Amino acid sequence: MKKLDHKGYFFIAPFFAIFLVFNIYPVLLTFYYTFTNYEGYGTPEFIGLANYARILTDSYFYEAFFNTWIIWGLNFALQLGIALLLAALFSDLRFKIKGLGFFRAIFYLPNLITISSVAILFGIMLDWQHGSVNMFLQKIGLISEPINWLNQPVTAQVSVALILTWLWFGYTFIVLMAGIAGIPGEFYEAALIDGANRWQTFVHITLPLLKPIMLYVMITSLIGGLQLFDLPMLITDGLGTPEGSLNTMVLYLYNQAFRYNNYGYAATLAYALFLVTVIFSAITFKSMYRKSVKE
Amino acid sequence: MKKWIVLSLMLALLLIGTACSSETDATSGDDDVLKVWSFTDELKEPIKTFEEKNGVKVELTIVPIADYPTKLKPVLESGVGAPDVFTGEIAFLKQWTDRDYWENLSAEPYNAESLSGDYVDYVFDLGKDSEGNVKALSWQTTPGGIFYRRSIAEEVLGTDDPNEIGEMMSSWDGVFEAGEKLKQAGYSLFPDEGAIRWFAKGEDPQPWVNENNELIMTDAKLDYFDHAKKLRDNEYTAFAPEWSPSWISGMDGPVGVNEEEAGESAEKTEVFAYALPTWGLHSVLKLNAENTVGDWAVTNGPSPYFWGGTWLGIYSGSEKKDLAWDFVQMMTHDEEFLTDWAKETGDVLSYLPVTEKIKGDFSEPFLDGQNNYEFFLEQAESIEPGIVTEYDQQIDTLLGGQVIEYVDGKKSKEEAIEEFYKQVQNAYPEIKLPQ
Repeated sequence: MKKLDHKGYFFIAPFFAIFLVFNIYPVLLTFYYTFTNYEGYGTPEFIGLANYARILTDSYFYEAFFNTWIIWGLNFALQLGIALLLAALFSDLRFKIKGLGFFRAIFYLPNLITISSVAILFGIMLDWQHGSVNMFLQKIGLISEPINWLNQPVTAQVSVALILTWLWFGYTFIVLMAGIAGIPGEFYEAALIDGANRWQTFVHITLPLLKPIMLYVMITSLIGGLQLFDLPMLITDGLGTPEGSLNTMVLYLYNQAFRYNNYGYAATLAYALFLVTVIFSAITFKSMYRKSVKE
Repeated sequence: MKKWIVLSLMLALLLIGTACSSETDATSGDDDVLKVWSFTDELKEPIKTFEEKNGVKVELTIVPIADYPTKLKPVLESGVGAPDVFTGEIAFLKQWTDRDYWENLSAEPYNAESLSGDYVDYVFDLGKDSEGNVKALSWQTTPGGIFYRRSIAEEVLGTDDPNEIGEMMSSWDGVFEAGEKLKQAGYSLFPDEGAIRWFAKGEDPQPWVNENNELIMTDAKLDYFDHAKKLRDNEYTAFAPEWSPSWISGMDGPVGVNEEEAGESAEKTEVFAYALPTWGLHSVLKLNAENTVGDWAVTNGPSPYFWGGTWLGIYSGSEKKDLAWDFVQMMTHDEEFLTDWAKETGDVLSYLPVTEKIKGDFSEPFLDGQNNYEFFLEQAESIEPGIVTEYDQQIDTLLGGQVIEYVDGKKSKEEAIEEFYKQVQNAYPEIKLPQ
């Protein structure tokens, strides 16, 4: 038997050591905390499965779950729709739109703004009595009474979804453009010769061939979207108001841990969130994959 | 098999490495730097004075208040990189006094207990743990009042004298009566309904949670729902929630409407009064008012209250407790320093030997020459000690949230109260609800 040289392990050891200490260890420690009523102070007390029992009957958790889904779903539908439309326009051979680089930068720009600035900006713009959004809408006569955007569950959720769309459609657009650029030009030429119109080209060539890219966008967006935290946190001062409609899963987790010092329960919420993310990523992947196989 | 040995060896090495370095961090005794942590920059100037006086170096770490407890907790728990002196804000003060983070100042050689008569009662009391040991001291007191516009008072209420306005505001009936008169004249009594929460708290002062872990709901707190609703329904407020842009701009004239829009908007209104504490004058009003300078005065509301406050103590694991104590002493009972400090900043002190001497000298131009110092000290005297619990900040927030939902008409009073109880239970499962 050939003698193996083990020196290589020394070179990869630093990564594993850091990974163990900063990733695996906290993950396992968090798992241990799910069985305790740890308050962030002193020694945790073992309480068995009480936290898991609590989570199943916790109406605030379910509320946070659905809120997160509603906000993410609306945001993703809009974001993908806008990005697809723009990608189709910009990639169309017959339109030949100039300045792709310029527009790409413009569309992507919102994504570069710190989320805190975004929150403050929209907080001011959406102000009930004195915000520019209401003033504008009143001026052009679309509404007669100012709308208290961030004070009603539906408008608050829609507002956050729209802000997220504004933040992310540029990113999605760039990824989709890259995907379209990867589709061989012959397909489009062939379609042109066959007399296919724009719509037919889009539906029968672009869309099916973009499926893997769209799957990628969807899964990354889903994983990010289920962790939605910063915007609701900053807009509502961490309260998740109005009527708990901006209380997302991670915001709820954060509040349980850092506002109310229920670290044990917050750890359980973290594992629940992990489970939810895994399940839905798997479902998304499965369903998209099956469809593309059928075709 | 072998690779696991190598791997675990590497890991062991790394752990030893971190253990060693953390040891050196924890002691922090290898240089002469006194480490101070706080959540504002207000200690900057005192630290300069302290450095000059004692010939030492002080390192001030400022962590924004939103992150302060979260950042400080692991440091105090582990002792790694911990400060020698750290401040606590009223919002989390009570979470800390009962842990072993702060040195017991009632013990030798500090004997802080003997100072008890020198401070405003409630301030000294708040720095104690549940067994009565002093853990932290404070140099300031932060009672609140109602800051109102003199010109509007003169026009609508017939006088701008703080005593007379205070007389009107000393009962809820008086408050609503003034609200009605102001409304008739086109003004708003308060920026929003949340302004009265302090009076609801101060009216029948009881802790939120008693020693048996039971939530105490007082009639005064239940009345808060009705009073807030009345303010809204009678249109005595300007729809400007605390800290919102309109809340801020209301301090300097008609609520934040653009000049060109002014003609169109019928909602335009001027706010008569803000409920703010001592620091509200220097850190809020003065910063945001330009046109209205000199047009303000301060008076009492229906009940005395206090809002905020910073306490200071020595970290129990510190190796420089003597120097740390020197600093705490200077900040909290050094007559010379405190006199200068108060005169320079206008901060209302809780140390009576100094305030007795200087309180007569204050005349605030922003308040048209009123002596706000004397007024606030008087208010401080009537604040009930011993009613703050570690839950207050969060439970107050939850209650305020439900009051607003009731005021907005989204819930009935019963529903709002029920939701409040549910939220408290969810946040603190250990608390027993009433009935």
